[in-house]
Amino acid sequence: MTDGFIILFGLTMLYLAATSRIIAHIRLLIIQGVLLFLICCGEHANGLNIIFMIIETLVVKSIVIPWFLYRVLKKTHSNRDAAANIPHFYCLVISSIILLGGFLLSNYYISSVKLISSMYFGVSISTIIISLWLITIKHKIISNVIEFITMENGIFLLSLSVAKEMPMLVNMGVLLDVFIAVYILGLFVNEINKEFKDLEVSNLSDLKDYEYND
Amino acid sequence: MINTLLIFPIIAAVLVLVIKNKKFDIAMVNLYALLHFVITTMICCGFGNKNASAYFAVDDTNLIFLLVLSVVYLAVAVYNAGYAKNFEVSERRISHYSFMILVFVLSMTGTLLSTDLGLAWVLVEATTLSSAYLIYFNKTKHSIEAAWKYVFICSIGIALAFVGIILLNISSANVNTLNFNELYKYASSFDVNWLKMAFVFMLFGFGAKMGLAPVHFWLPDAHSEAPSPISALLSAALLNSAFLVIVRVYKIETLAGCANSARFLLILMGFISLFITAVFVYHIKNYKRMLAYSSIENMGILSIGLALGGIAYYAIILHLIGHSLAKASFFLTSGNVLELFGTKRIKSVNGLLKADKKTGWLWIVSFLAICAFPTSVLFISEFLIVKTMVEQKHYILCGLFLLLLTIILYGIGYVIIKTSLGKISEDKVKLIEENRHKVSVCMYIPQIIMLILVFVLGIYIPPFLNNIIKLAVANF
Repeated sequence: MTDGFIILFGLTMLYLAATSRIIAHIRLLIIQGVLLFLICCGEHANGLNIIFMIIETLVVKSIVIPWFLYRVLKKTHSNRDAAANIPHFYCLVISSIILLGGFLLSNYYISSVKLISSMYFGVSISTIIISLWLITIKHKIISNVIEFITMENGIFLLSLSVAKEMPMLVNMGVLLDVFIAVYILGLFVNEINKEFKDLEVSNLSDLKDYEYND
Repeated sequence: MINTLLIFPIIAAVLVLVIKNKKFDIAMVNLYALLHFVITTMICCGFGNKNASAYFAVDDTNLIFLLVLSVVYLAVAVYNAGYAKNFEVSERRISHYSFMILVFVLSMTGTLLSTDLGLAWVLVEATTLSSAYLIYFNKTKHSIEAAWKYVFICSIGIALAFVGIILLNISSANVNTLNFNELYKYASSFDVNWLKMAFVFMLFGFGAKMGLAPVHFWLPDAHSEAPSPISALLSAALLNSAFLVIVRVYKIETLAGCANSARFLLILMGFISLFITAVFVYHIKNYKRMLAYSSIENMGILSIGLALGGIAYYAIILHLIGHSLAKASFFLTSGNVLELFGTKRIKSVNGLLKADKKTGWLWIVSFLAICAFPTSVLFISEFLIVKTMVEQKHYILCGLFLLLLTIILYGIGYVIIKTSLGKISEDKVKLIEENRHKVSVCMYIPQIIMLILVFVLGIYIPPFLNNIIKLAVANF
């Protein structure tokens, strides 16, 4: 069952690569949050930890962050990230190849390691790589924030892959940091929107070494 | 004792937010600086309890880092008292500014003191988030660009560092802890391949925070757009705290017996940093960016020194002290230049010595300190690093090192000579007369003291400091 959820999680990344409407990306974040919750449910049954997992995945990842991004989106009126550097079809192909690579890597090399389960490892590594790669090709600042969050989700999945539990304090700190990072990035998106009238990444390329334009 | 260091700023920060009064805000920042300095000095002299809790403690390695942070922060706070007088913004924004400075220094102190890798990670990320507002403080198009790049690049870097921590957790097999001392204890039983991979991620993650090339891109933008006291804090304190985490992780690698690959990566990134600085510093148009590149260079030297080992450990501690003091003084002086001339453009700044004698001399002496002119303590450290390279028979690296340093020296020296000598252009004369009252006494004294320290430490290192350095070296 858990494996099915993990595969679904991997497939959401393909959806992210193939679509351009930002509202769809935000809905996707909700789906990822819920999937992560379902994956957690199959794993840990320890009392305190399960409460923490619920707060992290259900409350923060699938309600608070998407809601906050939705508000930012409404304020900034940016619906589509249309002019990506690479057409969506190729995006889809390349993401699929990365995902496949993740599966192959984990099945052939990692499966011998006792401590981690290969399914988690492959999907999470390919999620991180796809997110990083999408950040480089998208043109809207808000899509970059969304991909940053999917990357964090990938890292969360990776931390689940280790059979051992991280200390509680570290988990809490990580959650808090990610939350505040997203909050601050959201605030900056608003400020950038006020200052530049739209959310193109190309607006933010004024600071250079060989030219002075202050 | 240490608890006070960590709890006072929280109370002060809340008070600053509640009482929105400019004088009170600045006083709180200064009070924390004073408290920080007094407590750190007392700990250095052997007073007080070194272990605050399970998660924060002063040990032999971080004591010297804490001392440097303390001195730099005190200097910056004194400067800030003069600098903040010139702010023409609402009380609310000054209260936010002071709040963020308090949180920023708190998170740096926490990073230095933390005994747990996970906690150190959390606090390093906290430094990013708190300093983002400070970089954005001027609210211009450029400052928002710099702040965005800073938060985004550093957050991604730090996220990758967390991947490194997870990989370390995998490699440590049955040892389920992130406490540094425990990790050191069991390091020899760790799985070497996973550990190597973990180091790559952590070096890139914390290296992004430390400003090592090729992941340094936020650094010149952030340093040049932030207000000058903040640039000084970023360069002289923040980079060091990221370096401390790398030092600790490197120690795990050494104990686990896979230091060779780590050493190669450190040397590689160090030399790329030197190379990038040499390329970019040469034609640079903005003097604060130039100083930022010089920070990248010095971080490169630290990472090369760490990789070399032996006497170089002693050298990098000296280098760290010297660089922090000299660069803080350089950035603070650049704040004076900016106040006087109203521009960061190198071309528009001429005849600094005529415009303001004290600032002009501080500008030149800071340059001499940072370029390792004897008796600057940086001279000794760089000399020791070169000596180690020769001893270990890395002749080509040694040649390359000296060549790159010379190019950088030429690039910076050219700008300093050009800006401090010559005539003030006529359109600037009136502007400078108007601005001169903005530079108050508080904006000279910290630099003078720090520069005296840099040049005195080159000749005489007091026994108590020498002890601290030796203890740190023994624990590297």
